[in-house]
Amino acid sequence: MKRKIFGILQKTRKNEWKREEFSEIEYEPTSVKELLTEMKNISELIIDLAYSAVLFHNEEIAEEVKYLDVRMDKLNYEIRMMAMMATRTKEDAEQLAGILQVAEAAESISNAAGYIIDLLFRERTGPILPKILKKAEEHIYRIKIFKESKACNQRIGDLRVETETGMRIIAIRRGEYWIYNPDADTILKADDWLIVRGAREGYEELKRFLHGELEVLD
Amino acid sequence: MSKTSGKTVEDIVLEIKDKSELMVDLAYSSLLYDNKVIAREVYDLEDLIDNLYQKLQRETLQRVADGELSVEDALAVLRLAEAGEQIADAAQEIADVELRDIELHPILKMSIRESDQVFTRVEVSKGSILCNKTLGELKLASETGMTVIAMRHGNRWLYGPDKNTRIDPGDILFAKGPEDGEKHLIELAGGLTDKI
Repeated sequence: MKRKIFGILQKTRKNEWKREEFSEIEYEPTSVKELLTEMKNISELIIDLAYSAVLFHNEEIAEEVKYLDVRMDKLNYEIRMMAMMATRTKEDAEQLAGILQVAEAAESISNAAGYIIDLLFRERTGPILPKILKKAEEHIYRIKIFKESKACNQRIGDLRVETETGMRIIAIRRGEYWIYNPDADTILKADDWLIVRGAREGYEELKRFLHGELEVLD
Repeated sequence: MSKTSGKTVEDIVLEIKDKSELMVDLAYSSLLYDNKVIAREVYDLEDLIDNLYQKLQRETLQRVADGELSVEDALAVLRLAEAGEQIADAAQEIADVELRDIELHPILKMSIRESDQVFTRVEVSKGSILCNKTLGELKLASETGMTVIAMRHGNRWLYGPDKNTRIDPGDILFAKGPEDGEKHLIELAGGLTDKI
């Protein structure tokens, strides 16, 4: 059984990526479309997670990046198998080759994320990288939800966080657990830590809302 | 501060980071809209990033030589930029699929459509509230969640517009964001609503 990775409360165990790496690849009839969509979603999230790990010097996020990177290798392998099974004609082959090239590119992006994470483990870099990343136009921030906030016990979709503030929630830390890439149904709780990405003005508004200083987002 | 150019090492790294992310977005949109102009821009940006990366290597080494940067910090900076360069290469691979003379598999568009982040293309109508305002004034990203990644103004294209970019009637915006943000942007651009 494949582990669901996004939108659920979970704890990535240390070195879980190693177990995933050496687990067997079984032929499961998944559609090429599903595989490609998952690969694209991971490729977009994994870069933000990698930069967050470096920015906040957080090894737990780094572990998840490693896990996703390994998962991506497997998805890339699976999509190749599925594409081969789906090829009947020369035209099929031509078109499916394009799909495999996009899949390969998504995998390269996740490798780049793995490379960013290595900076955290291998180098004694000091604060230079966080210092640089803090200056980026679209910055990554951490915000805690206070119990006074109207966000408590609300669905992200109902709060319309992203459409009202432009801030995308990349991950949520709840005690020892994490929710990566939360979806519209994810419910926010008091004391959650949100990792979000976006512009400063959206951040200021969201922070005030999550700290209970603002009643509604609009 | 660097002595040989106006840009600091930090500026160049960030430019590589931001541009490489823009390239991925543009590459996916080129497939979604079967748009070779955007795909070619990804190629041009890849050249730009190669140049930036070379410049960064030189500037970084110069700063180490001047004793302003430690070897460890220099390595960290160069490796972070290298990751950006890898992402740029991947974006180019995606754009390459669009530039080949082979009809795209319908699955490509479907997968891009069904992702968490959607891409959209809207034409700004005459009666739209967006007309004659800058992206900064509109605060489009923080009010709708949609980030404009490219726009077409007559025959001219603009990639990665900033807050000083002005929207004119007839402009075509390519944007990225959440699904419900897409609907809002379509209504704003079409002049169906004035509420941002």
